[in-house]
Amino acid sequence: MLPDRPITPSTLSVKDLLWQIAWHKDKCTLCGRCTAVCPVNAIELGVFRKRTVTASLDPAKPPANAYQVYQGIRQKTDPAYACVGCAMCSLVCPNDAIIPMRGDEADKVRYHVNRGGQPRRRGGRRNVPGGVLDQIKFIRISMLTDPALDAGRHEFELRTLLGRVLAPEDNLKFYRENGWMPPVREIYPLIIGSMSFGALSPNMWEGLQLGVAYLNEELGMPVRMCTGEGGCPPRLLRSRFLKYTILQIASGYFGWDEIIHALPEMKEDPCAIEIKYGQGAKPGDGGLLMWHKVNKLIAAIRGVPTDVSLPSPPTHQTQYSIEESVAKMIQSMSMAWGFRVPVYPKISGSSTAMAVLNNLTRNPFAAGLAIDGEDGGTGAAYDVSMNHMGHPIASNIRDAYRNLVKIGKQNEVPLFAGGGVGKSGNLAANAAALIMLGASGVQIGKYIMQAAAGCLGSESDRCNICNIGLCPKGITSQDPRLYRRLDVDLVAERVVDAFLSFDTELKKIVAPLGRSTALPIGMSDALGVNDYRVAERLDIKYVV
Amino acid sequence: MSSKQEFFIISGKVDGQRIDSRLLEEQIQSAVAQGHTRLKIEAYGQHGIGGRLWPAGDKKIHVQISGPVGQRAGSMGFANTRIEIFGATSDDIGWLNAGAEIVVHGNAANGACNAMAQGKVFVGGSIGARGMTMTKQNPRFDAPELWVLGSAGDYFGEFMAGGIAVICGHEPQDPSNVLGYRPLVGMVGGKVLFRGPHKGFSRTDAAMIPIDDATWAWLTRGLEDFLTRIDRSELLELLAVREQWQLIKARTPQERVTIDKRAMAAFRREVWDANLGRGGLVGDLTDLDRSPIPLITRGELRRFVPVWENYKYMAPCEASCPTGIPVQQRWKLVRDGRVDEAVDLALAYTPFPATVCGYLCPHPCMGACTKSASLMAPVDVTQLGKASIDAATPELPPVSGTKVAVIGGGPAGISLAWQLRLKGHEAVVYDTAETLGGKIAASIPGSRIPEAVFSKEIQRVRDVISHVHLQQLLSRADTEQLMADYDFVVIAAGARKPRTLPIPGGDRMVTALDFLKAAKAGTARVGKRVVIIGAGNVGCDVATEAARLGAVEITLLDVQEPASFGKEREDAEKAGAKFRWPVFTQAITQAGVQLESGEVIAADSVFISIGDAPDLDFLPEEISVDRGFIKVDDNYQTSHPKVFAIGDVVRPGLLTDAIGAGRRAADTIHAVAAGKRPPTDARTVIDLERISLEYYDPRILQYEDLGHCGSQCASCGQCRDCGICVTMCPESAISRQALESGGYEYVVDADRCIGCGFCAGACPCGIWNLIENAPLG
Repeated sequence: MLPDRPITPSTLSVKDLLWQIAWHKDKCTLCGRCTAVCPVNAIELGVFRKRTVTASLDPAKPPANAYQVYQGIRQKTDPAYACVGCAMCSLVCPNDAIIPMRGDEADKVRYHVNRGGQPRRRGGRRNVPGGVLDQIKFIRISMLTDPALDAGRHEFELRTLLGRVLAPEDNLKFYRENGWMPPVREIYPLIIGSMSFGALSPNMWEGLQLGVAYLNEELGMPVRMCTGEGGCPPRLLRSRFLKYTILQIASGYFGWDEIIHALPEMKEDPCAIEIKYGQGAKPGDGGLLMWHKVNKLIAAIRGVPTDVSLPSPPTHQTQYSIEESVAKMIQSMSMAWGFRVPVYPKISGSSTAMAVLNNLTRNPFAAGLAIDGEDGGTGAAYDVSMNHMGHPIASNIRDAYRNLVKIGKQNEVPLFAGGGVGKSGNLAANAAALIMLGASGVQIGKYIMQAAAGCLGSESDRCNICNIGLCPKGITSQDPRLYRRLDVDLVAERVVDAFLSFDTELKKIVAPLGRSTALPIGMSDALGVNDYRVAERLDIKYVV
Repeated sequence: MSSKQEFFIISGKVDGQRIDSRLLEEQIQSAVAQGHTRLKIEAYGQHGIGGRLWPAGDKKIHVQISGPVGQRAGSMGFANTRIEIFGATSDDIGWLNAGAEIVVHGNAANGACNAMAQGKVFVGGSIGARGMTMTKQNPRFDAPELWVLGSAGDYFGEFMAGGIAVICGHEPQDPSNVLGYRPLVGMVGGKVLFRGPHKGFSRTDAAMIPIDDATWAWLTRGLEDFLTRIDRSELLELLAVREQWQLIKARTPQERVTIDKRAMAAFRREVWDANLGRGGLVGDLTDLDRSPIPLITRGELRRFVPVWENYKYMAPCEASCPTGIPVQQRWKLVRDGRVDEAVDLALAYTPFPATVCGYLCPHPCMGACTKSASLMAPVDVTQLGKASIDAATPELPPVSGTKVAVIGGGPAGISLAWQLRLKGHEAVVYDTAETLGGKIAASIPGSRIPEAVFSKEIQRVRDVISHVHLQQLLSRADTEQLMADYDFVVIAAGARKPRTLPIPGGDRMVTALDFLKAAKAGTARVGKRVVIIGAGNVGCDVATEAARLGAVEITLLDVQEPASFGKEREDAEKAGAKFRWPVFTQAITQAGVQLESGEVIAADSVFISIGDAPDLDFLPEEISVDRGFIKVDDNYQTSHPKVFAIGDVVRPGLLTDAIGAGRRAADTIHAVAAGKRPPTDARTVIDLERISLEYYDPRILQYEDLGHCGSQCASCGQCRDCGICVTMCPESAISRQALESGGYEYVVDADRCIGCGFCAGACPCGIWNLIENAPLG
C-alpha cells in the first residue's frame, strides 16, 4: 500500500490472508512462470529497495548509506486478489522457490469477501474435513462363518438396480393390470453424479464420458454418468453411448428442447432421467452460469444465445407441492420415452426427505430416489449455503431405508446416496458404508474431479474458485487457454483407473461378507462405529 | 517281522472295523522306524497316508495304497518316499509335498498338489478343482511336477508360484476345455504344458509362449516316464505330437504391468470418434482446437498480454494542474538535455510560466506528485517555473479572421487571448485598469514575486496580444455592441467588488482589494493595531503588507477555521499575525472591532477580506447568472452561445484556475469557429500503484538543480526509455524500436512472451500494463 494513504477497513497484510506466499529470493530465477500461471493474479513482480548502512565511528571514514534495488515476487493483499492456495506457482517453479502456506490462525480475509454487499460465493465443498462416513468400519469379517470370498480371486458381479423393482409375481400382476412394466436398469453402483456441460469444461466432460464408455465397452462395467443440468451434446444424444447416460432435468430446463428434437433420432434410450429438485451442497440455492462462461459451445448445447447469464432457480416454477410436482414431472418424463426409461427425483438431504420418499412409494412410475447430502460439491454457491445448510447423508439415507423397511418396500424403491462420498479419499469405504446403511448405489462428483483431473480443491478452503471460470486445472473453465490443460484421453484413463481401483476395494469390503453378486444393501449388522450416539442414531453396532 | 524286500502290509481295518487315521499313521511310522521300506496299505478312507516318512532317512520307501484313499495322501511327503495309489484318490493328493513321488492310477479329486513345493505327482486320470494351486519352487530343490493324463478341473493353478504342470488332455472330462474354468488366476511362477482346447486363462497373470526344443525334449522324455509309471506307454505315440501342445508361463512382475488393454487414444479414435464423428463429442459444434497445451504458453494462448501504454494516462502533476501543463513531459525534456524546449513548452499552456509556476501558484502539481505517495519530497516545479522567465516568445501564425472580444485583462483574459492568438485568432482585450495583468498587477504583494519577473512576462504577453484597450469601463450597451461586432465575446472581468458586512460602523472598514492596490502603489497607511476580518489567503496578504507598512499587532478573524494555506499563511504567521476563530463581528467602533460575545478587539485599522464578487452591471440580461456569478457549462460557454465567461466571474479560484479556464475556453472557441465539437481529453490519472518509487532515493530533501529534479521525476505514465523492461523480460520478448517519426516504442514479440507481467511489475513509470488476452471461442 502507499504509505501516505489512510488504511481502509479492508486493508490487510500478508499475515491476515488465509494463504501466504513463501518466496525464496535466493532460489528464485525470475523466470516469470509463477505470475504467468497464477489464476487469480495474487502475485506480481515487485520492486524492492534494500538499504545498507555501513556504520563507522571513525571520523575519517564517515558512516555510509547505500540503496540497492532488486526485483522479486510480491503477494497482493487486496482481498480481491487473495491467494487461493492452489500452488500452481509451486507447480511451475523450476527452483522450488515459491509455495503458498496456510496461515497459522483464522484469516481476516473472510470478513472482507463481501464487497458491495455481495456475500462470498465459491465452489467446492463445505469447509469441514472428515465426517461420520469415515468413522464407520466394517466389523463383520467372515473367515469361516459365511462362505468367505477372496476379492482377488473370486468372480464378482457388483451391480445394482435402478428402477421400480417389483417381485416377479407382482411384476406379472402389475403387467396384467396395467399393461406395462416399470423399467429397471442393472448398473454399476458407483455413478458419476450430475455435473453439467458448462459447469465442467468440454475437455473434462468429454474425458468423463469417454472413460465411462471405455469402462462399459472395453471392461464390461456398466458405469453410468448423469449429465447434470446443461443439456447434452447432440452427438451424444444420437449415439449408442446415450445408454450410459442419465439425463438430468432441473429447474432451468436448459438444453431440453435440443433433447426433445433429438428424440426421434435416438439410437438408444438413456439409462434414466434424473429430476433435480435440490443439491446437497447448496440446498435452497439455485445455480447461475455467468454470462462470460456462456460461449458459443455452451450456448449451442443449452439452446440459448451466447453471453447471457443462465439462472437455474432454486425451485421449479410450475410446481407447488410434492404430490403435484413429483407426480407430474415423473409422468411427463416417462411419457417422453414410452415408459421405457426409469425416472427418479434427486433431492438435497433434508429432514423432509421422508415425506418425498413416502410419496414416491405410492407412485408406480417413480424409479427411485437420489438424496444428496451436505458434503457434496458444487461449482458455485453462496458460502453460507455451502457451509451451513443441508443434511448429512448417513442418517438421511438410513432413515429413508428404515422407512422403506417399515412398509416392506426396501427392495422396491432404490435409494441413491451422494454428497461427500470419498471426501477424504475413502471412496470405497464410504460407498460401502452407505450401501450397508441402505443405499442401492452412490453418486460422486467432486471425487471424480479430484481423481480424474487433479482438482486442487479441499475442505481447508484451498482453490475452490470453480465459480469464476479460472480453474487452474481446466476442469470448470470454459476458456480454452485453461481447459486445454486437460487431456481428454488422460482424464478418461484416470476415470478408468478410479473405477477399477474402487471395484477392487469394494470387493475387499464385500468379499468377507460372502457377497459376490448381490450388494449388501442395508446389511447394517456389518457396520460398527466408535461413537455411541452415532451407533444409536444409525442403528449400527457400537464398537470400541 | 517280514523280510525287508517283501511288502509289509498294514490294513486300515481291524476286526472288520475301520481304524482311526491316527492309528494307521502310528502303524506306518512304526513300520518305517523298524526298517520296513516297502509298505502296502489297505486303506479304508484314512487321511494323510504316506506322508512324513522322514524316520527312514536316506532309505527309499515305497508305499502302495489300495482301497478307498482318504484326503491328503502323501501330504508333506519326503524325497525318500514313492507312493503308488491303485485307483482314484480323494482331495488334496500331495498336499504340501516336499519331495515324494506319487502315482495315482485313477482320478485325483479337488486340490491336487495344493502348496506342493518338491516332488512329482503323476495322475493317470483327471484332477478336480483347484489342482496345482499355491505350488512353490524352492531354489534349493528341483521344481515340483504334476502330470495329468486327462484334464484339470476348475480354478486350476490359482496362485501357482512355481513348478510344472503337464495336462495331457487325453479323454478329458470336458472335451472342449482341458484347463477348466478360470485357470491360473494369481499365477506368479512356473509353467503349464497342455494339450487340447481351453476356454481362456488369466491373461493378466500368465502368457502363452512357444515351446522351444529344449522344452519339447524335456516333455517327450517326461511323457515316456509318466506313461510308463501309469502303465499307459501305448499312448506315447498319440500324445507326443509337438503341434498339439501349448505352453503357458507366469508373467514376470515387469510383464504384468503391460496388460494389453486397448489404449485410451485408440479407443477414442476407433470407437468414440468413429461413432460420434470427427472432433468427438462436440466436433459438430466447434472447430476450436481442444488438444492439450502446457501451463506456460505463448502467443494467442497466453492468458495475459502486456501493452505499452505510453502517455495513455495523465501523470498526477499534469492532472492536478488547473492550467493542464504536462509537467512530467517538461522533466523528460530536461532529462534529455533539452532544457530550452522544456521551458518553451510551458508557453503552449500558460502566458505566465515564471510568474505563476515559479512564484504565485500553490502548486497543486507538487501536492499531487507521486513521490509524496511514498513520503518523498515532490519534484520541485518552481525551479522549472523560475527558469521559464527565459522562454522565448512563440512564433505567431497568421490571423484567421475570427475576432474575439475579451472583457478583462487579468490572468483569465490574458490566458484566453494568448491561446487564441497562438491559434491564429485575433483577440481584443478591454480592461478598466491602467495596466494589463488584473489581480497579479494590482493586488498581489511585491514580496511574493520580483517585479522584474512579472514585467518581463507581461511584456511577452504584450508582444503576442497586440490589441489591448485599457481604462475602458463598459456599459451593458457596450457589451451588446461587442457581441454584435465580434464573433465571440469572452467575459473575464474578475471579481472586482469586495464583499463587506452590513454591520454598524461598516464604513470604517477598508477592503482588502483597495488596501492591497494602495500598498502596491505605495499610498497605503496602517495603524499599529490591525484587525482583518476574513482570514483567507487574501487576508494573509493584507496582514503581511500591513506588517511591512508598520503594523505591530495584527489579528485575523474568521467565522470558521481559516481556509488560508501555503506561502500566504506562512508569511502572515511570520509577520506575527494572530488567527482567531470562530468569532462573529457585531460592529466596528472607534475603539475597534466589537464581537457578538461583547469583547472588543482594539484596532487602529480594520480591513475586510471575506471575498470579492463580480461586478456584472455591464452584463446583458440574456446571460444567466447564479448567485452573483455567471453560469457556464464545462466549456465555459454561457447561456448565450457567442459569449463565454472565465475566471472569477464564474467562480473564485486560483490564478492557475483562471489560466486553465482561459485555455479551455480558447480551445472551445477555436473548435466552434471551425465548426467542430470542443476537444475532450479522455485521459484519466494513472493508478499510482503502477509507479515503482523504489528506484529513487527516499532521503532527498531538496533538489539541487533542474537536472536533479529531472532525474528524480518518476515520469508517471510516460516512458523514460530506461530499458528495464527489456532486461527484465525472462523470455527476451521485449525490444525497443525507433520510429520513423523520430520517437521510439517498446514492442512485445507475442511468440516469445508468456504473459508473466514482469515488464509491468518492473517498469518505474507504470507504462506497461498486463491485460487479459482476447477471449478464444
